[in-house]
Amino acid sequence: MTPEPVARDPGARPGTLAWLLLAPLLAWLALFVVVPALLLLGCSLGERDEFGQVLWGFSLENYARLLDPVYLRIFLRSLGFAALTTGLCLLIGYPVAYHLARAAPRVRELLLLLVMVPFWTSFLVRTYAWMAILREEGLLNALVAWLQPAWAPLGLLYTPAAVVTGLVYSYLPFLILPVYASVEKLDGALIEAAHDLGAGPWRVFPTVILPLTLPGIAAGVTLVFVPAVAMFAVTDLLGGARVPLIGNVIQNQFLQARDWPFGAALGVALLGLFLVSQLVLRALRPRGALRG
Amino acid sequence: MKFKTLNLPGRLAALLLALLPLAARGAGQLNLFGWSEYVPQPVLEGFTRETGIKVNFETYSSNEEMLAKLVAGGGRYDLVQPSDYTAEAMIRRKLLQPLDRARLAGLGNLAPEFTGRAHDPEGRYTVPYMSGSVGIVVNTEKVKTPVRGYREVFQAAHRDRIVVVNDSRELVSWALYALGQPVNTVDAASLARVRPLLAEWIKLVKVFDSDSPKTALLNGDVDLGVVWSGEAALLWRENRKFQYILPAEGAHQFVDVLAIPAGARNVAEAHRFIDYILRPEVSRQISAAFPYTNPNLAARRLLTPDELANPASYPQGGKLESFRDIGRAAADIDRLVTDLKSAK
Repeated sequence: MTPEPVARDPGARPGTLAWLLLAPLLAWLALFVVVPALLLLGCSLGERDEFGQVLWGFSLENYARLLDPVYLRIFLRSLGFAALTTGLCLLIGYPVAYHLARAAPRVRELLLLLVMVPFWTSFLVRTYAWMAILREEGLLNALVAWLQPAWAPLGLLYTPAAVVTGLVYSYLPFLILPVYASVEKLDGALIEAAHDLGAGPWRVFPTVILPLTLPGIAAGVTLVFVPAVAMFAVTDLLGGARVPLIGNVIQNQFLQARDWPFGAALGVALLGLFLVSQLVLRALRPRGALRG
Repeated sequence: MKFKTLNLPGRLAALLLALLPLAARGAGQLNLFGWSEYVPQPVLEGFTRETGIKVNFETYSSNEEMLAKLVAGGGRYDLVQPSDYTAEAMIRRKLLQPLDRARLAGLGNLAPEFTGRAHDPEGRYTVPYMSGSVGIVVNTEKVKTPVRGYREVFQAAHRDRIVVVNDSRELVSWALYALGQPVNTVDAASLARVRPLLAEWIKLVKVFDSDSPKTALLNGDVDLGVVWSGEAALLWRENRKFQYILPAEGAHQFVDVLAIPAGARNVAEAHRFIDYILRPEVSRQISAAFPYTNPNLAARRLLTPDELANPASYPQGGKLESFRDIGRAAADIDRLVTDLKSAK
């Protein structure tokens, strides 16, 4: 029997001390999340003047422009790229995380370190390294030419495939780590019990292991999906800036077109999209797993 | 410790001495906001060595980016490096302050054709830094058919073999040239005319890169492009197979200038930097690193025959034209290009 959890009165209000302790966090959130979000919203209702400065006002024109099929398509494409990236990260990252968590402690420490090592260098440097690998006279093509000269050179750089490769590479650790944390907490006795009751590995995984690691998966998926939707550096460098994703379009509005109001409207739309997707995710999550 | 043996005045003196560099740094610094791949590091170091003025160097890769950050950042920059047509808009908007020409001893080194141009007829606000054109570069080992103009670059046979600068106004101007339209009077009607042509062209491009378009050519990822002349000159220096061609339909000639923003704090330092750049031996260093067209005649005399023979740095003939400020149409241009790129 597990001990009865400490009863909490859902209606209890935090005391003064709790508010004091929370104050820095709340101030931080207000200053760096709420205020900028409101600024963004305000800006999105404005217009740009001839010189690119923001004229504050109240116009929904920027939102009307969002409904242009061109931008709807970019939104869909960005979601598609992010979904593909997330899916691949899950496919590659889950087994890695699982075996990491189940490895002998010493090996585990070393492997975890290896997952983190890429963070020691700048993200941009690592992306440039991918350019050196993928380009026409690059490392990968040299290998292909040596193995099978008839296939070389493969046009790899500046393609959607290069973008997805770069995205998966960049975000993989963000999926591995939360899944790892959740597999580590997994109670081995439950798996043994499932085996004792006659379930084979193909049965145990979907009915026992997967549901129990769902919180880690949910956290990992969010950590990969959200930044992947808005990424622009990888698409510029590995994609040759020719297949714009929503992050590129937003960046362009602020730096190239200097149409901040439209850029802000795109930002607000993206924010709204995440909010909705989080609500959907929350609604879909099984009740039991929430507390895992 | 030795410090303990000092008496009170001695300690105060030591304290002052320790604080001196701080004071000096406050007075002697220059916040330079310039193009990426345009100001050689040795030039900055030489300036600091000689004057003691510390240079804080920040870069941008388009005029628009510079404007966005300048307008947002207030008085953070003491010296900017806009292209002529952007400088024209900035003068009109009172974003630049008049120069004190008496402090610029080297102005006489400039070639007359680069001074008194339409963007700043009296030379009150700007001093030319480097000039150049936007033209076609071809890897002649890979492309065997002759390429003379934009239409011959953007043809189906060159799909996915083209690099272009990532600059909306440039892209639109090429299509305008190809259609025989003026590039400096842009309106809804002329944009509507270039739209279908540009839509076709954009589909053929493999890489959009303003920072270093030469990289894709050098790496063999593309075989031809429309790029800044300085980039083409570097390619030619690397390998003579990279040929520079001024498009037959007409090409953009730009003069990038040095100018002091209205809100600049270190105005004296900015003047000293401009005058330093005007020196022949300094300007010569810029040409060596970034072989654009040098507007400084005295510096040009120091160049080697090989440097002067570089067809991208000093092209012969060609129909060259400056951009002018087109006001609101710039936003329409960017909207058009965003739409077309997104439609792929």
